Parts: sequence; C-alpha cells; structure tokens
Amino acid sequence: MGQYRAWLEAYGAAFLDAAAWTLGVAVAAFVCALIWGALLFFLRLNGGPWAARTVDAYVQLLRNTPVLLPIYLIYFGFPLVGLLWPASICGGLALVAQNGAYICEIFRGGYKAIDRVQHDAAKSLGLMPWTAFRKVTLPQLLVYCIPALGNQAVLLLKDTSLLSAITVVELTMQAKVLTERTGAAYAPFLVAAVFYLFMVWAIEFLTRLAQRGVRWR
Amino acid sequence: MKQVWQKIFARAWTTPAPLVAALVLLFSVAAAEAQERSRLDEVLQRGSLIVVTLGTVPPFAFKDDKGELVGFDIDVARLAANALFRDPNKIEFVIVTSDGRWPAIESGRADMGVGGTTVYPDRAIRVAFTRAFIDSGISIMVAKSAGIKSLEELNQEKYTVANLNNPQMADRAQMFFPKAKIITFDTPSGEFLAVKSGRAQALQIDTPTADYFAATSATDFEVLPTLLTASQNNGIYLKPGDFKWWLWLDTFVSELRTGSLYPRYAEIYQKWFKKDPPPQKFYLPPAR
Amino acid sequence: MTASDLWVLAQAAAISLLMALAAIAFGTLLAVALTPLAFAPWALGRAIYRLYIFVVRGMPVLLLALLVFYALASFWGRISPYAAGIVVLTLYLAALIAEVFRGGVLAIPRPLWDCAKSLGLPRLSILRRVVSPLVARYALPPYLNVCVMAVKASSVLSIISVWELTLASREIIERTLDVYRVLAVAALFYFIMCFAIDRLGRNLESRLAARGFAGERL
Repeated sequence: MGQYRAWLEAYGAAFLDAAAWTLGVAVAAFVCALIWGALLFFLRLNGGPWAARTVDAYVQLLRNTPVLLPIYLIYFGFPLVGLLWPASICGGLALVAQNGAYICEIFRGGYKAIDRVQHDAAKSLGLMPWTAFRKVTLPQLLVYCIPALGNQAVLLLKDTSLLSAITVVELTMQAKVLTERTGAAYAPFLVAAVFYLFMVWAIEFLTRLAQRGVRWR
Repeated sequence: MKQVWQKIFARAWTTPAPLVAALVLLFSVAAAEAQERSRLDEVLQRGSLIVVTLGTVPPFAFKDDKGELVGFDIDVARLAANALFRDPNKIEFVIVTSDGRWPAIESGRADMGVGGTTVYPDRAIRVAFTRAFIDSGISIMVAKSAGIKSLEELNQEKYTVANLNNPQMADRAQMFFPKAKIITFDTPSGEFLAVKSGRAQALQIDTPTADYFAATSATDFEVLPTLLTASQNNGIYLKPGDFKWWLWLDTFVSELRTGSLYPRYAEIYQKWFKKDPPPQKFYLPPAR
Repeated sequence: MTASDLWVLAQAAAISLLMALAAIAFGTLLAVALTPLAFAPWALGRAIYRLYIFVVRGMPVLLLALLVFYALASFWGRISPYAAGIVVLTLYLAALIAEVFRGGVLAIPRPLWDCAKSLGLPRLSILRRVVSPLVARYALPPYLNVCVMAVKASSVLSIISVWELTLASREIIERTLDVYRVLAVAALFYFIMCFAIDRLGRNLESRLAARGFAGERL
C-alpha cells in the first residue's frame, strides 16, 4: 500500500497533466471535427456532382485507412515544407481530418430520416442553400444524430491515445511510461482507465442532456 | 456424562463438518505442494520452453524479411532450450508489445522472457531478473550531414534530442545535455523519422541497435563515439518468488558469459554484433 | 521492402479481416440482445445496459484485452490469443452497435409509434413490421462506420500476442526504418478491406431505401 502512495506522490501530477492534455486535444478536435464534418456534408448536398464526388472520395479515404498515417504525415512530413507545428496540433489536425469524415457519414445517415417535404418546403420559400442548411437541415440533423455523435466523441477520446506515437504525453503514453519503468502489469493502465471512464461519463452526461433538451417528433 | 458424549459423537459423524474439514486439509496440503512445485519442474515435464519476447527490437529480437523471429536474444533463448532438452527447437515464442511482457510473465503464460529488456531496480520489485547476458550501452546517433561530432556539442538550447520511452535515457539526457530539448517516442523508427524530418538533431538508442542500423537501414547516420553508458544490463526476466527456476536461469547465463557455454555465446555474439564478446574473466586473456 | 514482406503483410491483413468479420457477426448478435434492454420498462434493465456501455466503451480497449485474456486464461487454462481477441472485439463492438441501434430506434417518428399502437398490433408484430425495417434503414450508415472501425480495432490486440496487420507492419518498419512505404502498403490493405465492406453496405442501403424520405438520392 505504501508503494502505491509513493507512486501517487511521484506520478500523480504527471497523470493529471496527461489527462488535461487528453481532454484538451479531444475537446478541441471534436468541436473542429463537427464544424468540418458539417461543412463537408453541406458541400456534398449542395455543391453539385463534382463536389459530391470529391467529398465522397475524401470521406472514403480517411474513413478506411488507419489514422496513424495522417498523424505521421502531418507531424513528420510538414516540417519538410517548413511547417514545424507542435505535436498536439499536428495530431489534432489528423484527428479532425478523420473524424470529420466519420461525422459527415453520421450526418448522411441522419439526413435520410428527415422527410423530403421539409426540403421542398425550404426551397419553395426561396431560401438560399446555405440558409436552408443552417436553419432547416442542420438543427434537425443534430437532433437525430445526437447518440451517434456522442458515440463518435467517445471514439475520438480513445483515439487520442495514438498521439503517443508523436510525443504527445497523454494518458496512454503516461501509463506506458510508468509500465516501462516499474514492470507493473495492470496498475498504470487501470489508473488511466479511471481517468478515461470519468471523461466518458462526462460525454455521456452531456449527450443525455442534449437529448432531453430536444423534443422528439 | 458418557451418554452425552456418545450423542455428540454420533451427531458429529452425520454432519458434513468433519468431511469438510478433512477436504480442506487435503486441499491445503495439495496447494502447499503445488506452491512448492517450481516452474523448472513444470518446464521439464512439458518438454518445451515458452518464452515471451518482443518482435520489434533489432538486433535483439525482430522479424526478418521472411517473417521469421530472429535475433541475439532469440538465439540465447534457444541455447536455454538446448541446455534443458538437448534440442534448440523445443521452444515456443509468445510475441507481444512492450506493455504485454509483464502480464505474460505474471500470469504464467510464459516461463521466461527476453527481448532487449533492461534490469531496473523499480522493475525488480515486480519482475525477477537474471544477471545480464549482454551489456547493452546507450549511444547517440546523428545524421552525417548535421556535423555534430561530440556529445558536448549537443548540450545547447538549439538542439533537440529524440529519446526512447525508457527511464535510463531520460536520466542520461539530464546528465549529459540538460540544455537540449527532449522529445520521447515509443519506437526507434519514430526517432529516426524525427531526425530525418528536422524535428530533432540526434537520437539516443541502444548501442547494438545503433550499430545494426548504421550498417543496414540508416547508413546516412553515424554513431557518436562517446557512450552515454557502457552498460545497460539486459537480462532474462521471469516471475519472482520461484527460486529454483531463477537459479537455473541465472546459472545458465553465468555459464554463457563466463563458463562452459562461452564458445556458443561467442558464436552468436559474432553473428549479431560482428565482434567478440568480453573475455570470460577480466584477468584471463580472450580465449576461444 | 521486398516481395516477401508484401506477402507477410497480405497474410496479416487476412488475419485482421477474419477477426473483424467474426467479431462483427458475434457483436451484432450480442447487440441485438442488448438493445431491447435499453428500452426495458424496469429501471434495473436500463441501468445494466448503461453500465455495460459505459464500462466497455469507456475503458481503453488495450486494458479490456489484457483483462479479458488473462481472466479467461485463469479460468480455462491456455487459450488461443486469437479466440480471446475475438471475444474482446465482440464485447467492444456489441457496445458500439447497441448504441447505434438505440439511436435508430429513437429516430422513429412518434406518429408511427402511435399508429402502430392504435392499430392494436401485438408487440412482436410491431417489432417485426415497424421497428426492425426502420431501424435497419436509419442505423445502417453508422453501423457501417462501426464495421469499418472493427477492421482497424484489432490493432490493439498485439498486446496479447495477436499477430495482425498493424503489428506486422510495425515489425517490418522497425527492421527497415522504411516507415512511409510500409505504412502506405498497410493503409492500402486496410483501405481495400474497409472499402469493400462499405460498398457492400451501400448496396444494401440502396436496396432498402424507403420512398418519400429525403435520403433517397444519397
């Protein structure tokens, strides 16, 4: 027991720091991914056939490949053209790129649930495509997609562990550092899991709140 | 009075209590015997050795281009199997990632482990180590084009050094170049990419690994002559508490480095590191 | 990178795919059993569902793999890491898929529920004729998302000695330092597998398309 207290004193601050990094990157990346995903979906709907095909190709490429590749390309590749951004930003960008693609697909699924009549009504009112999207489609999409978006937020949180490959000291990396030093089989990962569970609980709480604040048809 | 005792006696036999007590005693004796049975006995009875290892640490343990597990540590493990069973192929390798080593050992899935694993006091609380079967030093590698020629040059604020995720490298960085910035990766490939992309100017790496890469895939890198440490003890690791098994493994390693198995040791040392191992005893001339 | 490296990667890709398909199949079955629990009339049922989703989704899959593998092994003796890996993935995917199905059920418009009830249809009939077809349509895109994720999710199982595409590519990278080329080839393998799953799913989607709903053209 005394051993664990010694660990707490030695590594507690490091774990809290790592948790802060994880949460920070996850929140920032999710917000940006929502915006990026909405933009992609808007382009797909209203941009004409070429835009739709480009968005589709982008979504397919980012969805079906491991996110480690964009992470590596941005972190190690951008310096070759002079862009030496910090690791968390590079990793965050890669996460936004991939999750934007996933969110676009989630929106596509939710879109099907909206009655076509709504769109014809919006068009007949003479609304510009962006206004129609902003005032009619997007709010309904967000409503239908809340559970799936909440799911995606959790997955993004877990994906931040991949940033350990590019020196970001987040929770999983911190657990690995401790495992490497002490040879403990489970304890460091259990500690990291407690942090992750707490964050996931927060995400689930927010999702339920969002759902309750909405009236279903 | 006698009747009361008789009644109690008669009752006692019909209740399950004595039976349970007898069974508990039997099981505890069996358990005690099971605890006394060593991993060594189990291995000998099984007829093969199960070794947990990594697959991504050349030249200690890695996969060649046919996908076969090879390396210095792998050959040492085969020598252990040979010592036990007269057959270097009576062995099974369980390949995991670095965090998977400790659960594999602790749960008993593997008898012992190899794979460039360094002895640290922190680790020795939970994992038992034999003495080192190789002194793996830590070196610095730089790109040939960078023009850095010595360790002292690195101690400047403008330099960044890539480390691996191990505590000794962190300590050595503090000791030798505290002014330089440190970025930590969990694999050597990340370190090399960091230097190639300009995010770092030098990297810390195990000396045998540095020599391996300098000769094969990183020929545009060079190894600085000064070692950050001449010896990082890499040993065989196993579950603590089993003295008989540890004693055999430690004796085996001792014989490898200083005794009857030295010629075989020198053979695999030459094969992987292209040089002779240290002599059997410091006061003896090198013998073959 | 040599031709034999390519062959090694191809074999590893096959293993990843097989494990993913098995986990998707079992995971979907488990999710079909789990989702009704989310709407159970008794609060304990809903609490059990929420607890399962919370724990399985919230823990790093790495830890889930370690715990399941070594816990199972302590009961059953030596078990194959691949079998344990499929169990871990099944448990994990079931949580994700159950949430997807739950979202699908919630997306059914209220008037449809009212219609079905007013028609006096028995519960099982409602499930079969109203709920299932609609959920299948609403949930298919996010379900495909999960299937695609399943193929990539097997990469964490390397900690319990499962050899699959990510580990195989890592082994080659650490030997040759040829990072981009090997990652690109591995990404190509992943892309082929995931894209195939996605196309099959799109095919299914278009065949299920309901008329009068906006997503027809998409």
